[in-house]
Amino acid sequence: MSRVRKLKLALWTVCGLALAVAVARFLFGLGATTHLSDANPWGLWIGFDVMSGVALAAGGFIVTATVYVFKLERFHAVVRPAVLTAFLGYLAVAVGLLFDLGLPWNIWHMIVFWNPHSPLFEVGWCVMLYLTVLALEFFPVPAEEFGTLAGIRRFLVKLRMPLVITGIGLSTLHQSSLGSLFLIMPYRLHPLWYSPLLPVLFLVSAIGLGLMMVILESNVTAFLYRRKPETEVLAGLGNAARWVLAGYLVLRFGDLAVRREWHLLFASGWRTGLFWLEVITMAAAPAALLFLSASRRSRGIQWTAAGLGVFGVVLNRVDVGGLAHLRPGGEFYLPGWTEIAITAGIVSAAILLFLFMIERFRIWEQRPADPDADPLKLPEFNPVDATWLGVPAIAARTTYSLGFVLAAAVGFAFLGSLPAKSRGADPAPVQQARGGDKLWIDGNLDGFGVLFPHAEHEKREGDKASCVKCHHMNLPRDQNSACSRCHSDMYQTSDSFRHDWHASPDGGRVSCAQCHPLGQARTASTAVRCDHCHKDLVPAGSTIQVKTYAARGYADAMHRLCIGCHVQKAREKNKPEMSRCAWCHKEKREVVDASGVRGEQDFVGRSVVLPAPVNSQ
Amino acid sequence: MEGPGHAYVRKQCRHCLEPACASACPVGALHKIGMGPVIYDDNKCMGCRYCMMACLYGIPRYDWEEAVPYVRKCIFCYTRLGYGRQPACTEACPSKATIFGERDDLLAEAHRRIAETPGKYIKKVWGEREAGGASVLLISNVDLSFLTEDHSLGAQPLPETTATAMHAVPFAFTGVLAVMAGLNWIIDRRTARQRDRSHE
Repeated sequence: MSRVRKLKLALWTVCGLALAVAVARFLFGLGATTHLSDANPWGLWIGFDVMSGVALAAGGFIVTATVYVFKLERFHAVVRPAVLTAFLGYLAVAVGLLFDLGLPWNIWHMIVFWNPHSPLFEVGWCVMLYLTVLALEFFPVPAEEFGTLAGIRRFLVKLRMPLVITGIGLSTLHQSSLGSLFLIMPYRLHPLWYSPLLPVLFLVSAIGLGLMMVILESNVTAFLYRRKPETEVLAGLGNAARWVLAGYLVLRFGDLAVRREWHLLFASGWRTGLFWLEVITMAAAPAALLFLSASRRSRGIQWTAAGLGVFGVVLNRVDVGGLAHLRPGGEFYLPGWTEIAITAGIVSAAILLFLFMIERFRIWEQRPADPDADPLKLPEFNPVDATWLGVPAIAARTTYSLGFVLAAAVGFAFLGSLPAKSRGADPAPVQQARGGDKLWIDGNLDGFGVLFPHAEHEKREGDKASCVKCHHMNLPRDQNSACSRCHSDMYQTSDSFRHDWHASPDGGRVSCAQCHPLGQARTASTAVRCDHCHKDLVPAGSTIQVKTYAARGYADAMHRLCIGCHVQKAREKNKPEMSRCAWCHKEKREVVDASGVRGEQDFVGRSVVLPAPVNSQ
Repeated sequence: MEGPGHAYVRKQCRHCLEPACASACPVGALHKIGMGPVIYDDNKCMGCRYCMMACLYGIPRYDWEEAVPYVRKCIFCYTRLGYGRQPACTEACPSKATIFGERDDLLAEAHRRIAETPGKYIKKVWGEREAGGASVLLISNVDLSFLTEDHSLGAQPLPETTATAMHAVPFAFTGVLAVMAGLNWIIDRRTARQRDRSHE
């Protein structure tokens, strides 16, 4: 297989995987398919797809400005690839944004509901307009191939100058406004990155990156299609890039100096390292590599410098977009595999479109020859069953389809591992109260519980005859059904009925007809009530009141037995106000034991040492 | 909310006097109404979550688990205010730990409570001046700056930070257009002259 075909197979495979994740993204939502959270509402899709995407597409406006405004005709050879890259880049940004928006079908709201105070509003508008401008700028190229479009083509070529200048204006605005987005987060963005100059820094780095991107792209496609890159032209771009990047360094460090944040450059912590990695790769190293005229003309140096530059600016956007944020609670964000799959899928699709365009239309002076279309090439056979794969073009498509479908299948298979849609609290089993005369009630074992003098209550309420007042008597001859007999989860209000358990041998194999009357639909609403069988669920003389299934708050805990009673008691004379939460829920309480010794009783902690009986009045 | 020591604080929307979230929202789904509440219009929202990034208190939450998610935040029960009632929280609070009223009155009450029992509270009303002030004021015996990651908040309202850049937008745009058109014209003329000269 040729280099192009290997690359295309890889790209189609990634697209297949992304397709599977895309389905999950729109069916299950952002929570299931991303690692985003309230502390990190923006992640890879904003930092890379949107912010880096826009910056990577900056080559379009730089090169059109150079060629059409400054009339530097020797750069003409790179105009078409640069405009195409920009167009596809912005298309990818728009698609990426559709994945990231919670309500992507509302994206048109930006056109109707205006908030001119918002930098994002401005970015959105500029990107929409610039995408249109780029489409109009690029349209004449494919139109060359279709005679019927000649009229439109001539019109658009006449319109070129205003289009180019509008494009430059729009790009200046939104490249810088992407930086303005973060001006509103002075307490969130790390001071090594936060600066009032953010818009300027973003614009300058975008110009540098635009130049780098053209250099890199030209070299990469030259490698793929085995053609000669426009090394001399690219060296000219490198010449401009070194000054832009040097200027960027001056701005970046000058800004730190003016803000008196120099000391942060040598502070400990991973963010300092991140800053240095970013500054060196995005500006310092490429500027140094491209500094000498001879080195600018070396293909190896061009590869290295442009590669580093692109990596560095992407890192910068990802840092500002989320990585270099000081998060509430220090929660750290790393993208999930699903997020990476979508991003890679969008990039792959854009590259595939790019390759299609350069093979189909006249992006370069000469259309690249398909290395697989060589008539002298040997026919290809399926390695498994040795069937002929058809003419090379068909063979290629067969391979791509196979990669795409297989990857999609693998993707769908892995979707099962995504967190379920309703990722609520983990089940917290209800624990029984422990202790003897005094009970430690701590249903979820979190150490915060209530020490309940059971014996005292029992005595006061009438010894053995009093059980009925507070306890369910769920089962025959039962005196005190524990809470956990029905409630299996602390945080679920309505799970006390276990349907399948009743039908199981443990639950006595209750037949359907015992609960669901014959001849009626077997639904919860037609089923008999619990006390149909459990006669003593709320026995006569009980003070339990089950009015609603959902307790409104802690005051309703234990079927309002605690607070309900204590509110009544507190109305009597000389009784303590035990209905107040803090009466029982305390960290420590001073107690006096029978012999008059004062001590402290611990209410917090899992192993509570029960104190000596309190001297009751 | 975890914090130093054992005290409870509601991590709720402060209904800033100059809300960063409302300034950030590209479609104006969040805005502050005359009575004070910063409210959310889910019909306008497109789910960009810039408000969550902009809020310095980290208040807005998101329906991450939903396929059709919305932003969630305290809306000060503004529909109740319309009927002349208090927000549910202040109406329910039995011990006047949370109270409702005009901002000036509340500020006076806060300073009165601080002065009344010296040493009970830290001498500071959170929300009085930070980032332009807020409609929700807090007093406490625990330093509440842990709610904003221990940042000492300046008095500058956050919308002002982007305002400078946003005001520059029309000028930058026309400026760039004018400069580019001008350059184009100059360069065109110069090349035309050079061509003429070479013809002579």
